[in-house]
Amino acid sequence: MSLTLIGITGIFFLLFILFAFGIPVGFAMGLVGFVGFSLVITPNAGVNMLATVTWDTFSSYGLTVIPLFIFMGQIAFYSGVNGKLYTAAYTWVGHIRGGIAMATVMACAAFAAICGSNAATAATMTTVALPQMNKYKYEPMLSTGAIACGSTLGVVIPPSVVLIIIGLSTEQSIAKLFYGGLGAGILLALLLTATVYVVCTLHPSWGPVGEKTTFRQKIRSLAGAIEMLVLFMVVMLGLYFGLFTPTEAGAIGSFFAVVIGVVQKSLSWNDFYNSIFDTLKISCMVIVIITGAMIFGRFLAITRIPFNIADWVVSLPLSKISIMAIIFFIYIIGGAVMDALALLLITIPIFFPVAVELGYDPIWFGVTITIVTTLGAVTPPVGATTYVVAGMAKNVPMQQVFKGVAYFLPAYIICLILMILFPQVVLFLPGLLN
Amino acid sequence: MDFLMRINKFLNKLLTLIGGACLLGMILLTCANIFIRKILVPIPGTFELMGFAGAIVTAFALGYTQFTSGHISVDVLVYTYSKPMKRFVSIINHGVCCVFFSIAAWFLVQKALILKQTGELSETLRIIYYPFTLAVALGFLILALALFTDFLKVLLPEKEGTK
Repeated sequence: MSLTLIGITGIFFLLFILFAFGIPVGFAMGLVGFVGFSLVITPNAGVNMLATVTWDTFSSYGLTVIPLFIFMGQIAFYSGVNGKLYTAAYTWVGHIRGGIAMATVMACAAFAAICGSNAATAATMTTVALPQMNKYKYEPMLSTGAIACGSTLGVVIPPSVVLIIIGLSTEQSIAKLFYGGLGAGILLALLLTATVYVVCTLHPSWGPVGEKTTFRQKIRSLAGAIEMLVLFMVVMLGLYFGLFTPTEAGAIGSFFAVVIGVVQKSLSWNDFYNSIFDTLKISCMVIVIITGAMIFGRFLAITRIPFNIADWVVSLPLSKISIMAIIFFIYIIGGAVMDALALLLITIPIFFPVAVELGYDPIWFGVTITIVTTLGAVTPPVGATTYVVAGMAKNVPMQQVFKGVAYFLPAYIICLILMILFPQVVLFLPGLLN
Repeated sequence: MDFLMRINKFLNKLLTLIGGACLLGMILLTCANIFIRKILVPIPGTFELMGFAGAIVTAFALGYTQFTSGHISVDVLVYTYSKPMKRFVSIINHGVCCVFFSIAAWFLVQKALILKQTGELSETLRIIYYPFTLAVALGFLILALALFTDFLKVLLPEKEGTK
């Protein structure tokens, strides 16, 4: 059996045990990579590779950035920053038609600047924003759709665990990916907000106006929310000016997030304890997937599959854009059936060399596939974020939430088209870092 | 079974608390390094210590993450299975993973013993670091124990009405 055939068999076997047996993604990649490597080289080499890769990955300084940024997000989450951000956005734009839904998207974007989790944003926003929208008789499809789609900004706007992992696995600058994600995230947030405006123009009864507020109330509403946004600025500017590495940025962010929570008296001991436990759990889940991907990657590397696929795809009689469209299509389908992080770690070794070979900018590719895969968080059958919203919005059937999400899908498509036509949307800010 | 569950719970909580302490230590060490290097010199070995502490943070949370079903899996297809089929798949899943992580733990111990025998030191601080490798092996052993408990829970389900 040729090495290429062994590699392809390994990929299919991985997909088989992932789907048919429901083995956790990190475990499955590690298992298939270990068995494949042992078969191709020797069982002795396999166990040595298993121990070495595991130790090297677990003790990697680069990966310590993950628990640090996750901890920052968890502290922000348990401090109730999300609610304060929502109140601020609501006070500023709640009085216009569809304003509360717009405020929800804006609050999601602001919270994404501190926390990189879709599920955490969706859960809190459903608790905070949905009762307000119900009070003003917003159409449930609009309200739940806005929350579900707004929450996806969590992985696009930095600091994002997905962008960190793309950076680590493709050896690209995390700071550049963060700034690329910032441009794309702001564009997507604006398009989602514009969607609310268009929907409410077409169906005025779906987003009735909220209460008017005075300028004094508007300024007052910023208290409690502005501190965390200043913290975001400190982290991003520190990276921009090269004052600290991404890991140090995560540590500074975590430290001051705790300080802000304590000073504001919004962080109890119990919250602090829970945020540590949640951080360890999420970080562990992420690093296990990375370790599995590293082991699987070693196996793929000895079969030369990624390089052969890159050479084969580039030699196809298709235009660059057609090949990229096919890759995006695979990511959309993949994102619909499995977690974005896992999908990216399995496919990056295969598609990243293809994108580079085709001449696409690695930062542009990393940010673009992040948006493509995040679509999977709101579309069936997986749609984890939609499930969170539907699960918490007791009186709204799942179908209605998915219908609501459908109104926002054109925003993602337009965002992707703009990113393809004008790569500077993504590349302008990272370019300044040079 | 109850005894195994209690052991699991206790060990996972203890290790997660140690991991949490390491996480806080990492934050303080990094912040201290950023400030001290502005006025004096960087704290030596910060990168190394961060790496070792990071290894403990992840390894000591392995069992807790399994215990609280924190590892991501693709269960779109598994949801559609009949009850006996789900049980069969779950037995295979937990059994195979338990064996795999026991192997991983064993060979991590072997790696640590080689590091000890060869007197391997870290690059900057020149300290022995095999105990950290052993700690990662311990994390994998606890994960294997959590998977073994899950395996037994599916294989020998408690009858309704019994505790």
